[in-house]
Formats: sequence, structure tokens, C-alpha cells
Amino acid sequence: MVNFTVEEIRGLMDRPQNIRNMSVIAHVDHGKSTLTDSLLARAGIISAKNAGNQRATDTRPDEQERGVTIKSTAISLYGELEHIEDLKDIAIKTEVNEFLINLIDSPGHVDFSSEVTAALRVTDGALVVVDTIEGVCVQTETVLRQALGERIKPVVIINKVDRALLELQMSKEDLFQNFSRVIESVNVVISTYFDKVLGDVQVMPDKGTVAFGSGLHGWAFTVRQFASRYSKKFGVDKNKLMERLWGDSWFNPKTKKWTKVGTHEGKPLERAFCQFCLDPIFRIFDTVMNFKKEEIPSLLDKLEIKLTGEEKDLEGKALLKVVMRKFLPAADALLEMMILHLPSPVTAQRYRMETLYEGPHDDEAAIGIRDCDAKATLMLYVSKMVPTSDKGRFYAFGRVFSGTARSGLKVRIQGPNYTPGKKEDLFIKSIQRTVLMMGKYTEPIEDVPAGNILGLVGVDQFLLKSGTLTTSETAHNLKVMKFSVSPVVQRSVEVKNGNDLPKLVEGLKRLSKSDPCVLCFISESGEHVVAGAGELHLEICLKDLEEDHAGVPLRISDPVVQYRETVAAESRIQALSKSPNKHNRLYVIAAPLAEEVSRDIESGKIGPRDDIKARARILADEHGWDVTDARKIWCFGPDTNGANLLVDQTKAVQYLNEIKDSVVSGFQWATKEGPVAEEPMRNIRFNIMDVTLHADAIHRGGGQLIPTARRVLYAATLLAEPALLEPVFLVEIQVPEGAMGGIYGVLTRRRGHVFEEAQRPGTPLFNIKSYLPVSESFGFNADLRSATSGQAFPQSVFDHWQALPGGSVLDNTSKPGQVVVEMRKRKGIKPEVPGYENYYDKL
Amino acid sequence: MAASVAPVLSTPAEHIFEDPTPITVPSSEARLSDEQLYLQYEIKRTVSEIRAGKWKRVALQFPDDMLVDAPRVFERLREGLGRGRAHAPGLSEPEVSDVADGVKDVKLDANRREDTAASQSADDTEERLCILADTSYGACCVDEVAAEHVDAEVVVHYGRSCLSPTARLPVIYVYTSKPLDLEAAVASFEQTYPDKSERVCLMADIPYSHHVPALAQRLREEGYTNLFATEVVGDPSSLLPNRTLPQAVQQDPAALKEYSIFHISSPPTSLLLILSSRVKSVHIFPTDTAQPTALEATTAQLLRRRYALITRLSTVPIFGILINTLSVSNYLAALTHCQHLIKRAGKKSYVFVVGKVNAAKVANFSEIGGWVVIGCWESSLIESKEFYRPIITPFELEVALVGDEERVWGGEWVGDFSALLGRDGNVVGGGTGAGREVVEGCGEEELVNGDGAGEGDWGEQDSDDEPPDFDLRTGKYVSHSRPMGRTRPSPAAPTLTADSSDVSTAPPATSSALVQRAAKSDLATVNGAVSPAAEYLRSQRTWQGLGSDLQRIAYERDDEGRIRGAAVEEGRSGVARGYAVGEGDNGARK
Repeated sequence: MVNFTVEEIRGLMDRPQNIRNMSVIAHVDHGKSTLTDSLLARAGIISAKNAGNQRATDTRPDEQERGVTIKSTAISLYGELEHIEDLKDIAIKTEVNEFLINLIDSPGHVDFSSEVTAALRVTDGALVVVDTIEGVCVQTETVLRQALGERIKPVVIINKVDRALLELQMSKEDLFQNFSRVIESVNVVISTYFDKVLGDVQVMPDKGTVAFGSGLHGWAFTVRQFASRYSKKFGVDKNKLMERLWGDSWFNPKTKKWTKVGTHEGKPLERAFCQFCLDPIFRIFDTVMNFKKEEIPSLLDKLEIKLTGEEKDLEGKALLKVVMRKFLPAADALLEMMILHLPSPVTAQRYRMETLYEGPHDDEAAIGIRDCDAKATLMLYVSKMVPTSDKGRFYAFGRVFSGTARSGLKVRIQGPNYTPGKKEDLFIKSIQRTVLMMGKYTEPIEDVPAGNILGLVGVDQFLLKSGTLTTSETAHNLKVMKFSVSPVVQRSVEVKNGNDLPKLVEGLKRLSKSDPCVLCFISESGEHVVAGAGELHLEICLKDLEEDHAGVPLRISDPVVQYRETVAAESRIQALSKSPNKHNRLYVIAAPLAEEVSRDIESGKIGPRDDIKARARILADEHGWDVTDARKIWCFGPDTNGANLLVDQTKAVQYLNEIKDSVVSGFQWATKEGPVAEEPMRNIRFNIMDVTLHADAIHRGGGQLIPTARRVLYAATLLAEPALLEPVFLVEIQVPEGAMGGIYGVLTRRRGHVFEEAQRPGTPLFNIKSYLPVSESFGFNADLRSATSGQAFPQSVFDHWQALPGGSVLDNTSKPGQVVVEMRKRKGIKPEVPGYENYYDKL
Repeated sequence: MAASVAPVLSTPAEHIFEDPTPITVPSSEARLSDEQLYLQYEIKRTVSEIRAGKWKRVALQFPDDMLVDAPRVFERLREGLGRGRAHAPGLSEPEVSDVADGVKDVKLDANRREDTAASQSADDTEERLCILADTSYGACCVDEVAAEHVDAEVVVHYGRSCLSPTARLPVIYVYTSKPLDLEAAVASFEQTYPDKSERVCLMADIPYSHHVPALAQRLREEGYTNLFATEVVGDPSSLLPNRTLPQAVQQDPAALKEYSIFHISSPPTSLLLILSSRVKSVHIFPTDTAQPTALEATTAQLLRRRYALITRLSTVPIFGILINTLSVSNYLAALTHCQHLIKRAGKKSYVFVVGKVNAAKVANFSEIGGWVVIGCWESSLIESKEFYRPIITPFELEVALVGDEERVWGGEWVGDFSALLGRDGNVVGGGTGAGREVVEGCGEEELVNGDGAGEGDWGEQDSDDEPPDFDLRTGKYVSHSRPMGRTRPSPAAPTLTADSSDVSTAPPATSSALVQRAAKSDLATVNGAVSPAAEYLRSQRTWQGLGSDLQRIAYERDDEGRIRGAAVEEGRSGVARGYAVGEGDNGARK
């Protein structure tokens, strides 16, 4: 039975120092959901028997079937420390030994990284799960980087220790070496993304920030736990003992002294960690798995483990599970680690405020967040939408950073495009209900104060995926999340029966709400397109769409890739276009933008809303721009924030301010659909060199200039060696040495190339990093499996754009030229790219 | 300092008349012989019809590519009419030369009419003819307004026509028939339809329509049994626009699905869209290639592109309605219909008359998100990438505004708006559907409130904002797509009666639910009315007129802090008809 009530939880919510918001993150298949089970079992949500098998946070049937988490799932738990005196060890003064753990289990597959991002935003700490045998993998690194970027403090559990013992039959010393290697590589990642404000967050077993265990068997331990067991026996202070129980530290039984030397009179000693922590575990494994029945009772006695009558009859693995779970319950180790070492909202929001809030750091909203003040104005971030049982309606899932959210409260709902003082993306609405997210279920709750995670009813129609809720009229937005994945793989869908179209449309709306990353739109040629981060992501989305959101039979096209149009050089002559009435002339030169600038724009480091001077400073200092040029950026495009720039380089042109709006409109139009294949442009800088205008305002209106601006930009692009950019995946493959040859073959066939190859220390596995064009990646996984007889495990994530090699896009015998022709045909436009003469006017 | 003459602002005249929209029809072929002219322009029939109608003032309307023949046709007609009059006094010399001059001018001067001098010398019984060139809208439509300028009683329309019913004047249509290689057509037909019992409608573009009976005759001789030769009738809203229907179809419109269409010469795009949605297949026999073979016409891709446009426009807050005809009957009804549709969707519309539509004209109104053309059924489908904002037809507007939960696309395509007006019943059905949806929404809210805290009473709910619309085209939310506010369902709606007890405590809420509510009370207003265009000026434009940017301009300054650059000079004053330049106070007023 659930061992806590909603009332108890509500009570705890008022004590922010007793709250821990944390996400469980890891590489795919390292055992997040399985470990989470043991915590749920402790809370009485699932039975102890099922823990480790049920994966209760995998709430969807397909998650259970595939054994992979797809959506992040939140659950609130009640927890307490085993020993009340441990409260002293918490960094912040805590009086009551009752804790509210808001836990989010997240997916490990790279395609669902956006779910992780959404989970991290609302939590302050992260439990990083690492497989003992596989060690730190790609996704471990990615999620760690994301966590640190959000100023989230990590603790680590090294999982699947049972496999090391049972399958690999490692010795104690080997196991120790293995552990320290894994921890070392985690720390390497952590120190790479060191953040001064967050401080040193490297994990150490002797600090208690690393646990070891087996989620499947439901046991885990920390060095601290053993230290407290032995501290009485040795009469040594627990904290001192912790340091001695890890690393190069030995206990010499002869001298009864602790030493830093691993030998005594030439004979090797057993490392303290092995002797005191691993030895009991090894003894249990040995006795139970080798069926030394007679030794079991005495061993259990020694370890103070009591079995019930039935349990005594078990043997083998089943017995092992029971014994280990009683000896070292995973929940205890995890709870202890989380409560002692992860920050409470009070602690975390103090340093997270500046990375969370877009506005000035001294306004009332900022101060409310910083102090985690339940009485301040409401600041709530909705990070994702969770489907309800009521079709088409969603819970807005988020976190209260300041103030208190309650039912009936009238709030300002600010979408991602909201700017203070403007009305765009701003809605006023009452919160209908607040709920507590409990995995598959929800519990209604009256109100939720700062520092807590909650679900909201009644605001889902106002936010597509995420947004800020506030009661203050002056509050800025909480920062929009940046995802590490982009929707670069797309497929178009159509209904088999035309009358089902409304259902498809409704389904697409729901789909785009239910996933933080997926994009549903209609292409210029009138197809409904669903774009996702990778093949698996898209497959899941389309399955949801067909079976759930739309519920009608669909025809789904082959996956296609979205390209970008760019230029490879500066326009070879200055492009000139005249307005329809021939009275106005625009002179423009297109040039490639530095890739770093584009990346900065795409990552939000440089943006249209920045202060002009500050932005010019960055461009000048980091990218070598001329400061005056940098201050004269007219706009970003497409969609006013893309990675193309329009720069005014004219001197003393009269009426220029008057036509700026028109030229900007033309620029947005042109960059959205380039001249080559009507794909969006990227990475182009357009310099307006000169402008001549008619003296009469009526002859230089929008009608004359908007189409002209578009024409001149097209001409400039076509004169500047136009090219196509294709998206490229970073593929990381884990593979045993023997199967490496196959990988190279598959990659080469698909225009991929390896740029890093490293052996994973202590294993026969190699880690291969390579780049693979997305357009060549369809069916890559299957291909790879067959080439390596299933021994290679690839993970692909969008990394960058690269020019499509093989010649000019204008030459339809070259590969890019063919791609263009293909695309133009698909879009129903004439296959030849129009020449620049179509847009260029002679003087 | 002050200039004594106006700066040269005008460009050479040849630029002014360069029409940026290319003329699609290749202009006149080899000059016709008198005999051909007589036949092609059906002089005889025209004369007799004019005489039969006893019309005295006749307007001759030519499309641009036939203007070369206009003076000769004019003369022939006058001769014919003169001969017909028993007491005809013959032609007076000056008039003829006048006409000849006029024709030269016609190409340059759009509105030149041959009426002034002629009217004085003409006697009462002589017919007065005049040539109308450069029609205000499409060449396929009868330009009634221009004809009324010359007080014409009848219009003779030459060239291909959309046959849209006219409101004011009688029209004599002369289709100016074109030659057709009958044998090639027959061969191509046999190749296309090997099955002799196939049901086929023979259709031809208007200039070729007189070949249809002959072709049908030939094909029947070849053994085809289920042919139907269409005849031209003036009914654009017919199932086959402007053509007669087979007997079976007249009784059961669904039977048309079993027919294929063999169409001589390429039909206009809108006709193609209409046809292909109604029949089994359409094959087009081209007339502009040397070795013609009939090709199957597919419209799927075109329809999809139109779908993209429509979905893009469904979230647009401001529409422009372009009046592209003043002669098609019912155009005013269509206008009110469109205005009503747009208003009901909570959007704003403005009406524009710009003559012939081109990109430069409509791009002048950048606050307009999309355009609806009210024109004849043939010319209002504008498929061009050159327009800054998309242009759609009234039928497409209906589809765009119907609401995502009901929009179906790909089945039919309606070009003629009178057909649309006829279907008004359907549309109202759709409207109540939208209303129903709102009602359901309220019900849901109520439901949720019921088990929740129940604090959100109706008074409060009413001041909540409208949820944003999902823009299908971009996949994002658009926040203010209904600036004028959505009509709230009336409280009398049966689903709401349950709530009326709650509402009774708050009468203001009920009454406000009856009126259209502006979605945002703080939108810009003009004379008290919410004006999205004014809002656009206020929030979207960075330049709002002279002086609006004085605060922001950072002038280059020299070392002493003086503004570098040109000194302020006296400019022009007055109205555009004739500026006074640089004369200052004393100069201008003396």
C-alpha cells in the first residue's frame, strides 16, 4: 500500500529545504527505470516483489513492450533517512526527517533527448546511472553535459554490479579498478563542463556521492553506509572512515593500522574497500550461488539479516535477490545519497536563477526565484505536456519557481515568443486545477508552493509545448529550453480516406503538443510533414499519431531530409534589381557567414533581441566582424531568428529608414524559400551595398520594394556559388574489435567517415565516432547490425550542417544538382533552377 | 540655392507602360486575309444580331492579342451595318481616319474611346461602334463598366470568354474560332480510348468548340458508341462549366463520375481543377505542339499546393478582398458573403479595387495577410510565386475559415461563386458546427470546474483570453489570429441551459456573451473601432511616417558636434498634381 497520503505530501511542500527534485538520467539500457522501481517499492507504490521487473515509470504499453523509456515520467515520493542523526550532514539546516522526493525517470535513447531536457529544467539534481560493464557511453556524456549546463548537481550510481560478479566473475580488486575507471571517466566529463557558480561537483565514493548496486536485484550501497556500520566497531568517526574505505587505503590486520601502502612485509594486503565493502557481498554471492546451504544461516546471522519462512526455502538467484535486498536495500542507499547530496530548491534556485530567468536579475520575479519564496509573485515554467485520459487534453507539467500556484488563480501565460510590453504570445487565464503527478496517475491538490513540481489543468490550450506562467505584469520569460537534438528527419503523412483529414489535423496538433521536439507542419507543396530527431523517434511519433492521436489509417512516405540553401563564395558581381516601376534600385552582395556565427545564432548566443551594442561586441571580438557592420544588422531570418543576416553597408542613403520594413519583409520571404529549391536559407550574410530610391514616397512603397528585395537577394545568392547544406549525424558506435571492419564498410558506403576511435579502458570494446549524412542514415542501424552480426550499437544525434559535395547545384548532372531536381519535382515546380538573370536587372 | 525647375523625377515614357505581368498569349499570328477575318470574327452573324436587337451604340471588346485586327473588324462591321440600313447615308470620311488614328493610340492609351467626334456627325439611325481595349480586369470577362462609359447598349466580346453572366448589358460573344487538325485529334482519341464503348465527353476550349460536332461525327464513324459532344452554354455553375450535360447526368449528377473528358486545347487551370474533381479522368489534346498526343491531366500536385496556401491563410488575422470584376452578376453578393465569412471568423477584412492584379500593387499593403479575389470563375485562380501574400478564391476562403475540425480537401473544387452562394445552406451548417465546438469547450471547462475548486465562475471565465490557433503551416501557435473576437455562442443554446442558473447571478456576463467581444481590449482603435491595421502600424512597422524616427536617428557628427552631411534645404510643397519647388514662403504665394 502507498505509505503516504497527499496531505502528508502537501505538508512537506511548505518546507522547501525538505524537497529534492531530481531526474534519473543515463545512457539507454543502463537501468534507470529498473532502479527507479526500487524507490517506488520503498514508497509502497509497487510491491517489492515486482521491483526491478515492473518498470512502473514506463507507463505506455509500447515502452513496456520494447523495454525502452520513451517519455519522461514524474512521480512524487515520501522518503526519510534511516538514521535521524544523519540530518546534521545535510548542507542546509534541516529539522525534520521527512522528505519529499519529486523524481523524474527519463528516456536514455538519444532520439528522446528532448524529454531529458524537459525533465532537467524542473529538477535540481540528477541521479546518473552508469553501467559497470559498459561504462560511460555517449548518452551518459550528453545528458551530463545538459545537466551541468542547467546547473544541475549530479550523483552517480554504478549499476549492474551483479553482472560483473555473476557473468564476468571479476575479482574484488578488478571490480574496484573497474569502479574507479568509471568514476574517473564521469569526472572527466564533469570537469570538462565545469561551471564556476555550481562549483566542483565531481563525484567521489568517499564523499558519498557514488553508489554501487544492482537495480534488477534491488540492492545498492554507498561507502558511507559501510562507514556508519563500521564506525561503531572501530570506534572511528564515520567521516574519517569514509575516506579510508575508498581508494589507496589499506588496513593492515597484523598491525591493526591504516596505511597508504598496499604491502606488508612484501605481501600484498587487501584494499580497504575490497575488504570491508566488497567482501561481505562477495561472500553472499559465493555462498548463495554455489549452494553452500549450511553456511547461509550463519552468514545471515552475522550480517543481521532475517528471512521469513518462505524466503528460507528459496535458492539460487531468487534467494540472492532476497538476501541482498535485505542486506543493502537499494532505496536506502539512493535516498541517503539524494537527500544528503542533492540540493534542495532553496539551495539550487539561489544559483540557478541567473541561468533560468531572461529578465534583469534584480526585479521582483528574479528575487522571488532566487529566494524560492512561496509568497512572492508566481513564476512557473511549463516544460512539457502530459496527455490526460481525456483525449486531446493535456496536463501542463512544470515547476513552481516562485510564489504559489493554486486552482482558480488568474495567471499570465507567456509563450516562447513573448516580449515584455507586447501582446504577442500572451494570454490571461485562470488555472483550473493543480495536480500532483504520480506516474500513471494524478492526485488533485489544492495549491503548490515554490520549489515543487506539478501538473496544471486548463492551460494546455494556450501553450504549444512549453512556456512561463506568472502573476506579475513585468515579469520576463523563464528561458526557453534549448534541445540537443533537432528534428531533421521528416516523413509526410496523408490520410487514406479524404474525409479523415480533420482527424489527421487534430491528431497532428495533439502530437506536436505531446512531444517536446517533434514538429508537425505543412510543406509548401501541401504535404503534412512530421519531423523528428531520428528514425526511432519518428517511428514512435507516427505510431502514436496513427493509433492514438488521429486514429485513422495513414499513408506514410519514405523519410526525407530537409536541406538548407547557402552560398559558398561572395557574389561574383554586385547583384542589382530594380523595382517594377524602375525607379528604385537595390544593390546587394551575398557572402557566406562563418559557421561559428551561425552556430551561435542557432544556440541563441547571438539573437535578434540582444542589445545591439553587446551583440556587436561579441561579433567583433569573437568572430572578427567590423564593429560598425555589426551594429548595422537589420535582421535575422527566416522567421526573424534564423542564421542569415541582412547588413546595411550603405553610406548616406536618403529615405533608407523608410524602406527598411519593406526590405526586411522581402528578406524574410526570400530566406524562407531560397531560389535553388525553395528550401530555407542558412549561413548567408547579405550586404546591402547601395540603394537608390525615388524621391516620392508613393513610388517607393512596399509594393515596389518587397518584391524587389526578394529578387535582389535571389540574384545575389545565385551569383555566389549557391550550394546545399545537408544535416549530418554524429554517430557513436560501440563495438568489439573483431567487428570493426564491418563498420568501416557500412560507413564508407554511406558517405560517412570515422574521426575518432578509442578503446574503452578495461574492456575489449571500441568506441567509434563518425559523421554520417542524415540522408544516408535511413536503414543504417539494420545495415550495421547485419554487417557486424549484431555486435555494434550505434547512437545517432544531429551534429551539424555540411555542404553537399559533388559539384554545383546549378549543374543538373552533378549529385547536388540531381538532389535539387528531385526536390523541385517533388514540390511541383519546374525542375531547372532559374538563372540569376531572372532576378538581376541591368543598369 | 533653390532650384528653379522641378528635379527630373519622371522616367522615360517607355518604362511606364511596361506591364510587369507577361502576356501569356502569343500575340497575333500572320495577318489574316479579308476572307478569314470575315469568317473568324463572324461579321455576318454579329451584324444581323445587332440589327435584330436594334442596338444603336455598340462596344467591341478585344483581348490584347487581337487588337491588331480591331480596326478592320470595326470597318467591316460598319460596312455591314451600313449595307443593312435601307437609307444608309454611307460613311463620312473624317470618322474613318479618326478610327485609324485611334487604333494606333489604343495600344498606348487604355481608355481612349472613339465617341466624341463621331457622335456629333452621326445621324440618329446610324449605329455607333467603338473599340474597348485594355480591359480593366481579365480579357475573358465582359468589361461592362468601360462599355457604360460610352453608353453602349450591347457589347460584342471577341476571343475566349468565361461566359460569366453579366448584370447590366446584353453581350454578343464571338469566339473567334481557330483551326484544328481533325485527323490528328481523331488518331489521338483512338490511342487514348481503345475501348469503343468508353463514356467520353468531348469538350473543347472556346475557340475550338465549333469543331466538336465534326469531331464527334468522325469518331462515331470510327465506332465509338458512348460519345457525348458538349455544346457551349452560358452557365459557369453547371457541372461541366459552360457546357451542356449528357442526358444521364442531368438526371443523376453522380453519373458524371463515369465519364472521361477529352479536352481540345489546354483548359484554364481553374477549369482543369473543377473538371478533374468531377469526372473519371481528363485528357488534354494540345493544339500548340507539332505532334500532338493527348495527355492525362493530373491536378493532385496543384491541389496540394493550394491546400498549403489555404492552411497558411487560416490563421491570418487580416484579409484583403480584391474586387476583380464589376460585371459578373452576384459579385456584390459574393463580396458580402466573403466579408461575412471573415467577420464570423473573428478576422478583419478590407476591400480593394486595383484593376488588373499584379505583385507590386498588392504588396503595397503589407498588413494584409492574404487576399481573396472576387472575379470571374476562370481568372480568379492566381497561381504565382511572385505575390508577397497568397491569393485565393472565395471557395478556398470558405475552406480556409471552416475550422480545422471540419476542413476536407481534395474532393471538389468550386470556381464559380454563384455556385458558392447557392450552397449557403451548407456553409451555415458549418458555422453552427464551429459554434457547437465552442459550446463543447465551455461544457468541458464547466466540467473541470465542477470537481475542481470551482472558483472560476463564468464572470471570470469571460474575461479570459481566447486560446491561440495552431498554424498548420508552420506547426506553431499564432496568438492573435482573431483580432475581432470570436462570436460567443448564445446562452439560449441548449447545452448551456444547465449553466443559466449560475449565470443569473451575473447578468453582465450573459449580456456580454451576446456581443462580439474584442479578443484584446488594448488593440489599437480608430474612431473607437478595433483596427488591426492600425495595430500593425503601431507594433510592426519601424517607420511610421516623417518625424517618427527623429528620436532614434544617430547622425554622424563632426568634431564640434555638428551634424555632418547635407544641410536642411527647402523642399517641395503642394499637391502631387503640381508641386511648388523651393520657392519658399514668398515664392509660392505670390
